[in-house]
This record gives sequence, C-alpha cells and structure tokens, in this order.
Amino acid sequence: MGTVTIPIGPQHPALKEPAAFSITLVGERILKSDVRLGYNHRGIEKACEQRTYTQDLYLIERICGICSHAHTTTFITASEEVAGLKVPPRGLYIRTLISELERIHSHLLWLGVAGHEIGFDTLLMYSWRDREVVMDILAMLTGNRVNYGINTFGGVRRDFTAEQLAEVRKSMDVLEERTKYYIEVATSEPTLAKRLGGVGSLSHDDALRLGAVGPTARASNIQRDVRRDDTHLVYNELDFKVITDDHCDVFGRTVVRVLELMESYKLIRQIIDKMPDGPVSVKAPRRVPAGEAVARYEAPRGEDIHYVKGNGTDKPERVKVRAPTMANLAAVSKMLEDNNLADVPIVVAAIDPCFSCTDRGIQVSDLGRGRDETLAWGALRAHGIEWWRREAGVDFASLNRKLSQSLAAR
Amino acid sequence: MADEQKLAQALEAKFPVLAGKINLVRPRRMFVEVPAESFRQVLAHLKKEQGFVYCCTITGTDDKDTLAALYHLSDEAGTLLNLRLRVPRDAPVIGTVTDLYPCCANYERELIDLLGFTVENLPPGNRYPMPDDFPRDQHPLRKDWQPAAK
Amino acid sequence: MSLTSKLLSWARRKSPWIIHFNSGACNACDIEIVAALTPRYDVERFGIIIRGTPRHADVLVCSGPVTRQIKDRIIRIYEQMAEPKFVVAVGTCACSGGVFQGCYNVEGGIDTVVPVSAYVPGCPARPEAIIDGVVKLLSTLEEGKPPAKPLVIHDDPANDDDMEEAANG
Repeated sequence: MGTVTIPIGPQHPALKEPAAFSITLVGERILKSDVRLGYNHRGIEKACEQRTYTQDLYLIERICGICSHAHTTTFITASEEVAGLKVPPRGLYIRTLISELERIHSHLLWLGVAGHEIGFDTLLMYSWRDREVVMDILAMLTGNRVNYGINTFGGVRRDFTAEQLAEVRKSMDVLEERTKYYIEVATSEPTLAKRLGGVGSLSHDDALRLGAVGPTARASNIQRDVRRDDTHLVYNELDFKVITDDHCDVFGRTVVRVLELMESYKLIRQIIDKMPDGPVSVKAPRRVPAGEAVARYEAPRGEDIHYVKGNGTDKPERVKVRAPTMANLAAVSKMLEDNNLADVPIVVAAIDPCFSCTDRGIQVSDLGRGRDETLAWGALRAHGIEWWRREAGVDFASLNRKLSQSLAAR
Repeated sequence: MADEQKLAQALEAKFPVLAGKINLVRPRRMFVEVPAESFRQVLAHLKKEQGFVYCCTITGTDDKDTLAALYHLSDEAGTLLNLRLRVPRDAPVIGTVTDLYPCCANYERELIDLLGFTVENLPPGNRYPMPDDFPRDQHPLRKDWQPAAK
Repeated sequence: MSLTSKLLSWARRKSPWIIHFNSGACNACDIEIVAALTPRYDVERFGIIIRGTPRHADVLVCSGPVTRQIKDRIIRIYEQMAEPKFVVAVGTCACSGGVFQGCYNVEGGIDTVVPVSAYVPGCPARPEAIIDGVVKLLSTLEEGKPPAKPLVIHDDPANDDDMEEAANG
C-alpha cells in the first residue's frame, strides 16, 4: 500500500500565492494534511533592523497587499508606545476609518474568491464589482487603491475634508444595499447551504485548542475580537457587535464575514459622525528610546500581533510580526480531516489565507490506491466542482445565470 | 489595573522566584522574566489556572551574551502576559511548548532556523521558514550574521 | 487603426493565454491582476484568457520579488511553456526587487532568473497599466517576433491615450 501524493503548489491560481500542501487520502476522504511554508519568506524582520522606523513603515506595508494598513498600524502603534507618543484623536479616527474600509475590501475580495472556488463565478464578478466602490473611496482618500501609506510615525499623513467624508458615507449606503442582497442569497439559496454546510468543520473546543483567530474562530462560536478584547484605535468609543456563528463550518465562516461587512458599514458612519477636529499627527523623535512594546490589531483575517524593541537609535533593535493566517494554519489541518479532496480548495480558502502574511503548493497521498500525484490547484478546483455536481447535485450554473440576470437589473 | 496586580501577587505567592521579575507596564500588558528552571511550571500554571489559553506567538531575540524567547500569552479578557525565557548564547536549549500550545510548532521552528535555538521534543515537521538547501548553521536574525557574498 | 483595435483583431485570431505566477509577492499586484479580469477592467474583451497551466500559455505574468525558495519553480514554469513565450514583470518588486532589495531571502527582480519582455512598474501596478503592458506586448507580437528590447510601461494612465482606451473600452 503506497501513497497518492498530490503536490498542489506552490502555485495555485485561486489564491494567487505560493504554498505547498501535502494531503494523504484514502479514496476521496482525507486522512491528514500538512503545509509547507516559506515561499514568501523575504527576510522582512531582519531588514527592519537595518532601516529607520519610517522606512520600515513602507516595508511592513508590503508584507501583505490585502491587509497592508493592518500591518503598518500595528507596527507603528507598538513603535509609538516605545517612543511614548500619543497620536491625536483625529489621527486615530482616520486610522480606524481606513481600517474598516480595508476590512470591507478584504471581505468582499474573499467572497469573490470563495465563490470562484466552488464554481459560483457570478459571485466573484459581482462582489469584486462592488469592491471597486471601496477601491475608489480608498484611492480618493489616500491616493492609492492598494498600499495606502496613510500612517506615519506619530499619526497619519493626510487629513480628510468634509466633502470626502460625505462621499464615503454615500458609498456605505450603496454597499449596504448590495450586501443585504448577498445575505439574502446566502441564507435562502439551498445550493450554497448544501455546498458549504458541514464542510471543513472545526468544533468550538478544537478552535480554542488550536489557537484559531478572526472569522475562522468566530464561526466556531468563539467570542474573540481584538477590537473589543484588547481595544485599540478608537474602538472603545464605537458601538459594534462581535459577530459569531455556531455552524463551525465553511458556511459559518461565510455568514460571519458577510455580517461583519454590515457592522463595518455601521462603524464607518459612526466614525464619520464622531470624528473630532484637531491635528492628525504629532512629531516623532528621530531616535527611539530603549524599550519594548507589543501591539495587537483585529485584521480582516484575525489577530495581527507585532513586537517592537527600541535601542535608543533611529532603527529598531527587533521587529517581530505574526500575521493572522499563521495562527489559523494548525486549524486547517484539523478542518480537512475526514473531508473530501473535492473540498480542499474551499476549506483552505475559508480561513482567508494570506500566505504573504504567513509567508507560504498541495501534495496528496492516497493510501488506498498507492500512488503519488501532482495536481495543479486549478485541476483540484475543477475536480471539486465536478465531484459535487456528480455526487450531490450541487451545480451553480443555473444560480450563476439567475444571479447575473437579477443583479444586472439593479 | 486591578486584575493585573492581583495576578502579579498570585504569581509571586505561588512562585517566589518571580519576585521583582514581574513588570506591569500598562493595562493589559505584563512582562515576566522567568528563570529557566521554573519555566515549565510557570507556563503550565498560567495556562491551566490563570486562563492564558492562547499563545499568540514567540519572539526570539539576540541580546549579545544571551538569547531570549518571549512567549506572548493571552487570556480571554485581552491581557497579554509576555513571558521571557533567557538562555546562554552558546547553549540556547529550550523545551517545546507544543504539548500545551499546539499552534507553537512553527513559531519554535522559526527560533531554530533564524536564531539557532535548539528546541527539545519538538514533533517532526517541515522546516520553516528557510528552504531545505539553506545551511543549518546560518541564522539570519543573529546580530552577527552576514549573508554569504553572492 | 488604433492600437487596441489592431490588437482586438489579432486577439480574435490568436487568443493569447496567460499564466499568472506569484514569485514571493505581497499580493497587491496579484489582486490587481485578478481585478483586471473583473467587469470594470475586463481583460477578456481583448481575447486574453488566464489559464492554470504553463503548457498552454503564451505569456507568463509574474509578480513579486524572486525568493530563494521560488527561484527554481519560476524557471521550471518558464521551461514548460512552448515557444514563442513571453514574460511580463508586474509591479516594482518583479521589475527590480522593489522594497525588498537587499533582503536576505530575495534574489531580485524576475529578470534575475528568466528573460523579461515587458516591465510594468507600480506598487502595486494598476489594472490599467497591467492590461496596457500585456496589450502592448501582444501587439508587438503580431509579426510573431518578440520586441527588440523589453517594453517599459509608465504607470500614469493620464499620460497614455492607449491606456485610457484600455480602461474605458
């Protein structure tokens, strides 16, 4: 009895990032899985020690293009704590506004990627179309669609006008309306519930034991959200719900993210209403005293944590980054246990993996048939879509058509 | 700061060796310097009796004559207790904590690859983060490390 | 005939297939490449299709600085492509290593491992610039020959009528 090893990766078109997964199968059922990371390892922490705090902002922003603001905010918050700086309230409000806009773009991006993984491509087209509303807002406010560069050591680099904030508020109305429609589709479409329900299960206890974070943890009914637990920025002045769900599966992770979108729209309106006047930054010292601090932040994928140590010079002594996907990887292996090969793409996608954050291909071993195989991710996705159509009658073709027609009419 | 002070007092009472080694920096931030011989007991106590059920990550540092591993532990109320274990630079041996915190496997592998720690009883797994052909005696995060000329 | 209509007729005959590879990038360029497929930018109207396998691809669209681990894989993917084949380096990191120049696990830009036919700088490169890069490259291939020297795309669409046309159809 040999193994079917299907190495998928490190190039998978779905996720656009390199990683290498290794899966052991018996027939279609997964016995166990393993992840090999490191393909995106660029040596950023070391580079941070050789650059100033301000230069490090630009480097750290590029840990991950999807949650770049999360990383710079966490890093600079820790640095500001070491330096004893107090960012003025308006600066903190602006940081929080960009944080929630980033959460929206990230969750909409995820919705599209998840749809693509299961053959629900209309969802990709429409959620990314809606996402363009946020991209335009971010470009208007910060000058760039991605990698906003809004943070500086001591605050933010730009202030926003009342007109700009009015534009942001208008677009929240548009997005809220469209997201309500997605919620309707998610909760009333039997095809979606059938495809995602019971897939990638992670019990509450396992999620806790394995250290899951973010929507992945909250979909297993864990009340864990850094915005509330280790409050940062201005979240302690804002009113919002921590969204949890008790499905403990991919369907639950979808529900959590969609409902979090609704919370973000509400948060942004509050931020705009409550934004105080005043300066947006304080002057930062060139040399940061010796000292250390740890900052935590609720990024779209979960808890982001940065450690910064100053040594009296203009360069940090040590910078450590642990991005959220890294914390969720142990849980993925558990989630894949006893699932079907056909579910690998959506289960992996459901933790919203950012291998750049973690740093980051799939090898499948089939103990039943005794062989190793190399599967490209695209082939694995196609297998998944076909398997579900054949074995369970789940076919998104007609839903794709129906959604296209009704959304085109809106 | 009531909770952190209560916790500090409870820890010093149970582990007198921690007297003077607990720093309450600000609300929800504590730093504890733990001697190597008490590390295991203190860690197990923090997890099982004090609710620090979650280890966010482990930061390794090169502090000239010593290396240190800083374990960032969190409880459900959002308190971060940073537990520092210091070892001699020429014998940086620590024990795995994966029996208590399974998610720490890759964090420990990072300490091995990037700083040259030895982690005893770490379950086998893929190397992280360096590729298989990267020399095992090279530790990029060490202060004296220079990349080989290209 | 404008550049885009020349290309449209060429693309209808040839239908170039693209393969997208991330060689160690932060994903910013990758999500802009995917955005190029979505209705707002819609690269498929140029007859350009993204494929998952190198064997049928004409153009390798590559993002990211080259990390040590990924180096061999890029070379392998490039070797699996049939001639004629072309590489577009998307984003400043792919062009030169970007902010990661000098980092210990980073070799440099894509051209340190495979020949690059077009450079699309930007951090990240905008979808319009990416489409412009691919479109311009493909139009030079109408004759079946690669460009005499690699193309470099400016990432300010205001300076480029063709890019405006690409963006607005």
